[in-house]
Amino acid sequence: MPLHQAISHLVTRRRGLMWLIVALLAGISIFVLVTRMKLDSEVLNLLPSGFESVEGLKVYNRDFAQVRELTFALSVQPGDVEELEEFAPEFAEMLRQQPWCARVLAGSPLETPEGMRDLQGMAVPLLLNLDPPAFHETIALLQPERIRERLQRLREEIEAGSPRPQFELELDPLGVIAPALRPFAENATVEDDQPLASPDGTLRIFMVVTNQPTLSAFDSHRLMEAVNAFRVEAQKGWEGAGPLEVLVTGRSAYVAEISLSMRHDIIVTVIGSIVLVGGVFFIGFHRWLPLIGMGFSLLLCCLVALAAGLLIFGELNMVTVGFCAILIGLGVDFAILIFGKYQQARDDGFDHTAAVGEAVRNLGRAIFFGALTTAVGFLALLLANSPGFTQLGVLIAIGIFLAGLFMMTVFFLFVPAINVRERRHWLFSAVKNYVVWTVRKPAIMLWIFVPVLLLLTAIAISPWPPLIFDASTRSMEPKESDAGHALHTIMNKMPERWEPAIGIVRSENVQQLHDQWQKVAAHWGALQQAGKIRSFSTPAALALSPRRLEANRTSLGAVDLAAARQALETAVAEEGFSAESFAPGFALLDGLAVAAQPGSELPDWRTLLPKSSSWWFLVDRYFSHDPLLTTGFVTTHAPITTQAQNEMLEREMPVEGVPLTLSGWSFTLADLVPWSQRQLIVISALMAIFEAGLLALLYRDWRLWLIQVLSLAFAVTAMIASMKLLAIPLNLLNVLAFRLVLAVGVDYGIYVLLVWQKAREVEHDVAGVIKPVILAGLTAIAGFGSLGLANNPTLAGLGIACALGIFWSLACTVFFTLPATAAWEPKAWREASGRRPEEMEDV
Amino acid sequence: MKLCLSLSLCFFSFISFAQAQELSPTEVKTLLGEIRQKRAAAPQVQADFQEQKTMKVMNKPVSSSGKVWFQAPNKFRREVRGSSPSVTVSDGKTLWIHYPKFQSAEQYTLGKRSPLDAGIAAITASLNLEGVESSYNITGAREGNGYVLTLLPRAAATKRMLQQFTIRMNQQLQVQRTEMLQPNGDRIVTTYSNESRAPIDQSLFNFTPPNGTKITKPLGR
Repeated sequence: MPLHQAISHLVTRRRGLMWLIVALLAGISIFVLVTRMKLDSEVLNLLPSGFESVEGLKVYNRDFAQVRELTFALSVQPGDVEELEEFAPEFAEMLRQQPWCARVLAGSPLETPEGMRDLQGMAVPLLLNLDPPAFHETIALLQPERIRERLQRLREEIEAGSPRPQFELELDPLGVIAPALRPFAENATVEDDQPLASPDGTLRIFMVVTNQPTLSAFDSHRLMEAVNAFRVEAQKGWEGAGPLEVLVTGRSAYVAEISLSMRHDIIVTVIGSIVLVGGVFFIGFHRWLPLIGMGFSLLLCCLVALAAGLLIFGELNMVTVGFCAILIGLGVDFAILIFGKYQQARDDGFDHTAAVGEAVRNLGRAIFFGALTTAVGFLALLLANSPGFTQLGVLIAIGIFLAGLFMMTVFFLFVPAINVRERRHWLFSAVKNYVVWTVRKPAIMLWIFVPVLLLLTAIAISPWPPLIFDASTRSMEPKESDAGHALHTIMNKMPERWEPAIGIVRSENVQQLHDQWQKVAAHWGALQQAGKIRSFSTPAALALSPRRLEANRTSLGAVDLAAARQALETAVAEEGFSAESFAPGFALLDGLAVAAQPGSELPDWRTLLPKSSSWWFLVDRYFSHDPLLTTGFVTTHAPITTQAQNEMLEREMPVEGVPLTLSGWSFTLADLVPWSQRQLIVISALMAIFEAGLLALLYRDWRLWLIQVLSLAFAVTAMIASMKLLAIPLNLLNVLAFRLVLAVGVDYGIYVLLVWQKAREVEHDVAGVIKPVILAGLTAIAGFGSLGLANNPTLAGLGIACALGIFWSLACTVFFTLPATAAWEPKAWREASGRRPEEMEDV
Repeated sequence: MKLCLSLSLCFFSFISFAQAQELSPTEVKTLLGEIRQKRAAAPQVQADFQEQKTMKVMNKPVSSSGKVWFQAPNKFRREVRGSSPSVTVSDGKTLWIHYPKFQSAEQYTLGKRSPLDAGIAAITASLNLEGVESSYNITGAREGNGYVLTLLPRAAATKRMLQQFTIRMNQQLQVQRTEMLQPNGDRIVTTYSNESRAPIDQSLFNFTPPNGTKITKPLGR
């Protein structure tokens, strides 16, 4: 029994068995979904693998505590600057009281007594870590004579009216802390690189480290609920004339928003596409049961493909949530085509079973090739090497084949055996009239449409208007994002604050860590001197060298610290200083005395720094959970947006003998621009070549082949021109839309030209296929267009670009492919129909 | 920050004006108007001063004396005499403190978000008494033939540097004594004499470090 007869027998005579199979499939899929559903909200998984910068960013996000930071910002009107100044310490205190808050940075740690005290506590190991000449020079300040001279001079400077000695005495009573901290202070330029207040004073920033257990969507969501409640509560204390905006941004804020928006995206895009696609189907056929059958079959496709995806990948990334909407938009094409053909067969007098067989026989091949080109198009997403898009590609490839299969089987379970003759309505009449007219007088249509396409092609290839390519971090942010709004408000009010490039170093031991950062700091220092970079900061001062520590301890053993202590006591008394003010100085001498004893253990500076110390914000910038995994920062003269900046950094930042991984969000996105352009040009070209070959194989007619290749080319150039004219930007990821448009758009031509080759009657055959093709195109546009409702910008951008491309593919098929074919190859159907051309005039 | 605090307090110490029976708010306003009128007629002033600083870091108060010059809106010069002399000069943009004995000078840039700006703005506002009501809560009293004005800063930035500023003036509205109280307990009392409103040579407000002077920028700006 031929396959089409076997299928028609199964779906019309063995319906019970079919329903059992459907129930089993649905049951297994639902079980898999319920037991294994895991959503991956990691935006980094949308970026391609294999890039050092991407891998570096993943390491940074995974291993560095800084990602658990939330940045709060208080934004006020210009008239409320003083009120904000007053409110800021209260706000910082309120933050400290929150159960989710581990640490708060509200200003430079040096401005607080606690910050100064913490720094003094770390002085001994940092002093011993100075390079030997600097250590000797510093330790010489502990000679009794030098102590006396210094205190005398400080007293005289106070009498002279200098404010400096008071400050110096509070921080560094002995004069040795400042040199010990100099390397650290050089890297502690928090206020210079990352100021905590805007120049106009209308915005204040507070950095908060939270105690959330993980960065999972659940934990982030729970944290942000508490944070948002706090934001409302905190505003109650505000007494300014204008409103106070309490903004918050950070990784947890984004993760919570993205996970929520994924839920929103699934619901909105699926409902959007079902409503739009169902609406188009109903307008086309005015039938309820087939519409329900189509919806059911598509739902089954989605269920089975999602279950398969979960089994294959273990979790589903955020872009795969767009899968259902795309699949609905594409899969419905098969339902429209097959039902159109079935209806035509019924109208021609076939019974239900025979009509099903006729529809499958006529369209099975076209649907197979249609599914194949679409599946290949989506599988080409694998070449993007992005885990997220790989999942999307595989899921849709599976789904589209399932859609083809289910539309030729399951769908017919909903088609009643009793034939209801299709009412002729305006759509069909309009399509029929157009087809007849354009086949008869193709030149007119070509004269109208080809100039339009040529004009759009000219716009596409012209440098003006430019095609916007957005490789900024904003292109990856969720739409209407509170975290994004907070970040951009901060960036707008503090334009000098931008993201640096990062250099990650993984060392094998503490000595190597020290040596490597010494080299890097020296090299980056030279770059700064040469004006190639604006500034840099490294963990060099905190990367202690066991060799230096040992050598300096030996030298310290030779210093008479008891004499130094005696000299300090005497000088304090003689110069009239308060002994209380010098307590930290005496404590430091005690610490040095302990360190000078051979065999004594030097305390780790990490244990000397209290957990609540603001200095941890600085430490966490550089050190991961693993103290041998560290990072340094390079700030460029302007935000990193161009490939030239990236090339400069890639050329200049590395240091010989130090394995340095360069990364950072801006750096990575700029780094991916060539990849993205390669995806756009090379992969789309490969896709085009594949399709050209497939079409040649399919038509075996060079004229039809050429017409469809031209049609595809026009569709792509019209898509580019539309994006230019509508100012729709390309971004790193929606460039993938081009291959999808090529894959999906080609199908319409295949359906029309395959029918054209066998057509006997223009009204019956050609008009009979054009109507479903138009409906299929509109449903695909609706399916992709519904993605535009998604909050995820990648998904929305991809959907809008694809919808535009498919619109032009459909338009080119109807207004170019059909008339061009009629003009160039008019004999195929006329001869087969056995009518003479003049008879066609009557048709 | 501490450095800025100390600097600002030092500058406050040579502010020359007024003195302390409770005055009603209206009377305070009238008094401020009279002071402003007088300042407007002669926007410059010079006087001798004697200062006593009580500081946490010192067991005993530190005394000094010298002369101060001020030209509205923001130029000033202060010379400390004695065994530890110093010269402080500001042209409104740069502030120098020169220590001839040590052949050294400290340079501070004002504006450009300098932490000193709040302090300098406070000083000049007080010297001019222009808009002073918006920056301070002011109370006044009549004391003998003179007046006492007490200024409490409104802005948090100023509060970090200054807890209270008291000005005693004689009947002619000449400043006789000022007293500044710092949040950490430090106190600076300055008494003024020989006030003159004669014109001042503008070159006094310029400073060029003598050759061989070691220049430092404690705020790194």
